[in-house]
Amino acid sequence: MLTYFLRRLLLTAAVLFATSIIAFLLVHLTADPASTMAGEGASASDLEVIRETYGFNRPLYVQYTAWLLDLLQGDFGRSYYLRRDVSEILAERIPVTVTLGVSALCFSIVVSLTLGVCAALRPNSIIDRFALWLAVAGQALPSFLVAIGLMYVFGVYMRLLPISGVSDWTGYILPVVALGYYSTPSLMRLTRAGMLEALQSDHVRTARAYGLSPWRVTIRHALRHAILPVVSVAAVELGFMLGGSIIVESVFSLKGLGYLAWESIQRADIQVIQSILLLVAASYAVLTLCADLLNAALDPRVRH
Amino acid sequence: MNAQLWVRINRRVLLIMNNPKGCREHAAGVVRGLATAGIVTALATSLPFEAYAGEDNDTLVWSTASEIGSLDTYYANMRETLILTYAMCDSLIYRDPETGNYEGLLATDWKWIDDTTLELTIRSGVTFHDGNELTPDDVAYTLNHISDPETPSQVSFLSNWIDRVEVTGPQTVKVHAKAPTPAALEYLGGATPIFQAGHYDDAPKLGDGNSDFGAVQPVCTGPYEVDDFVPGETVTLKKYDGYFADSPKGQPQIGTIQFRTIRDPEAQIAELVTGGIDWIWGVPSENAEILSQQPGISVASAPTMRMSFLSLDAAGRSGDTPVTDVRVRQAIAYAIDRDAIVDNLAGEGAVVLKSMCVPDQAGCTTDVKQYDYDPDKARALLAEAGYDDGLNLPFYAYRDRPYSEAVMNYMREVGISTDLQFLKWGALRPTLSGGEAEVAHLTNGSNGILDATASLGYYFGGGEMDYARNEELSGWLSEAGRTTDPNARATLYEKAASKIADEAYFVPLFLYGRTYAYTSDLNFPATGDELAHFYRASWN
Repeated sequence: MLTYFLRRLLLTAAVLFATSIIAFLLVHLTADPASTMAGEGASASDLEVIRETYGFNRPLYVQYTAWLLDLLQGDFGRSYYLRRDVSEILAERIPVTVTLGVSALCFSIVVSLTLGVCAALRPNSIIDRFALWLAVAGQALPSFLVAIGLMYVFGVYMRLLPISGVSDWTGYILPVVALGYYSTPSLMRLTRAGMLEALQSDHVRTARAYGLSPWRVTIRHALRHAILPVVSVAAVELGFMLGGSIIVESVFSLKGLGYLAWESIQRADIQVIQSILLLVAASYAVLTLCADLLNAALDPRVRH
Repeated sequence: MNAQLWVRINRRVLLIMNNPKGCREHAAGVVRGLATAGIVTALATSLPFEAYAGEDNDTLVWSTASEIGSLDTYYANMRETLILTYAMCDSLIYRDPETGNYEGLLATDWKWIDDTTLELTIRSGVTFHDGNELTPDDVAYTLNHISDPETPSQVSFLSNWIDRVEVTGPQTVKVHAKAPTPAALEYLGGATPIFQAGHYDDAPKLGDGNSDFGAVQPVCTGPYEVDDFVPGETVTLKKYDGYFADSPKGQPQIGTIQFRTIRDPEAQIAELVTGGIDWIWGVPSENAEILSQQPGISVASAPTMRMSFLSLDAAGRSGDTPVTDVRVRQAIAYAIDRDAIVDNLAGEGAVVLKSMCVPDQAGCTTDVKQYDYDPDKARALLAEAGYDDGLNLPFYAYRDRPYSEAVMNYMREVGISTDLQFLKWGALRPTLSGGEAEVAHLTNGSNGILDATASLGYYFGGGEMDYARNEELSGWLSEAGRTTDPNARATLYEKAASKIADEAYFVPLFLYGRTYAYTSDLNFPATGDELAHFYRASWN
């Protein structure tokens, strides 16, 4: 097991190393950061001074090595645009995206389970039709349209909730609904299908025969059985939500990681882009490593 | 009221759920619990949330899509920073945005001692926001810092004419120019704030030991002082009570001015309508019309200094290209209906650009050859040049893609097909400076400089962006840049502008407009310099 663990660990480190090189090259080869920083009207000598000051005139391998060495010491560098340490910026932005993503997933699961269970309990009823309509609408409507619609109804028309920013927790409500709504259809249809199957199973029929309360039969016996595939899909959805929250963050002016990545690409803020790319890659690599190790622990054949 | 509405809605939900035709009994029990939780949530969320903007709080909140990373305009060349600089800081000279006249601000008087020496008398009794009094040393320190060739300023064009600045008396400084600089007053006005001596001494260090000057928060002498700054999010300024009385900028009227970044234009409009913010700009024409009909919202438009134009490789820097033929360049100019683009696409405030400079710029003339829309003439010129069957050109662009596509469509109509290369500015700039762009749709705001040297001089003075490479033309412009006699300058610029138009070196398209939308409680002066002079604003 130890050998397997070390092998996987080395592989993960190699993946991260390769990712860091690709991220570095992509950022440096697609745009001239000095030109972006200098803006219009800058002369060639202005660009040279900027390159000299920020070290852009050094060979790429020198820049990469310096960046990697700093990174290994926990120094993510400094944002040329926001004039702050990247680690500080990330520490502020990551919680926003994580809060948004996790809350959206919770919202999605609650709505999906509720409607999915109701739809399964009463197939072809109004609730079932409503759930189907919601599923179709959820998959057909782009998230920015849902976001703007929510903004109009609850922010402009009813004036119940903040439209942009997160000065307090109420600022998360509309973004969470907008983001969570997108993954609701798949989870809901999965719940419904699972519940339909579970409700017809022998153990649920037996539970009813025992005279257990409807709540207990539904939640403890049927739903428990039906929820397993939902959990698997929900985990995947969380990944999409964390990575794909940029549109919702942009519409509601949430200062999250996706928004930061987009803005940093626009202004060629190299240190920030590299750090975000590496952070995302590291998250996936570590999660994959954990999954591999878990599989290996559960199934000895995987180790060989 | 809103809470009651929510309660009614949730009661309705409960009634539906209780209906036997709805769910089975036990399912309704599950949903009932959730609906109750919904009521609680609704009650909690419908509590009134605090409004930060508006006359009641004496707080003007303005918003754009940009994130502000630095408050130092020398190291953050963007409009928003410049707008804040005008509110926070003072320069030596003030150009009144409505009359265009130069007035003394931190300098009370100035005179040219000789062709290259400008002597200024510094105003006494002016204090910085930390209470220290302004001295000539501060002026010399600031100007010497930004004119240092090793300083990575993003607006070096404002200071690279300065050789050195010396303090010559208790209230006087001398600015020594490298060469006669007729636009010196323009450079010293507005966008050149004065900081205290030693301002940059404690700038944080970058990884390789260089200083990050832009990270130092400005302490200035302007009508507003910085109260709070969260990079990338908000900037809050509050009225400076010690602002000197006889400033030509006037006295600040509004207590607090706050900037907020709101990326999405729809969110900006929604915040404006609901009173979350007071002022936005860049409102598309279709939204401007709707907003103007909203009670409590005012909409105003004004032209800006940003030119939209086509750069054509007349000199053949990119190789053997059809646009080296003047007939092809003229054909392109005739092919584009600039009036239609202005009327139907560019929006309120935009006007047709008649010359390769902004009419308000000193030395600019619009009395040059015009190429009115004439597709037949364009086709004839192309045929004369040997392109009866049409031709294909690469077409570089980086901003406002719909405008570029409109121009490409007009070119296609007369037989010029284009391959659009739409790049970010950081990627396009090396292409342009390297002489690789046969046709490029560009824009330029002259960095707010009201002198033709910032437009004609920049594109035709022999620099890296010069695609005409005409020595006679660049000679005239070079001479105009050194000549202090206004009449002689005007003559030189007139010859240059006429030559550019006759040869169709570039094709001027239009001047951008800006549409502003703001609360009707605000008395806001919309000016043509694309700067929001909030220090001149007041509540009605």
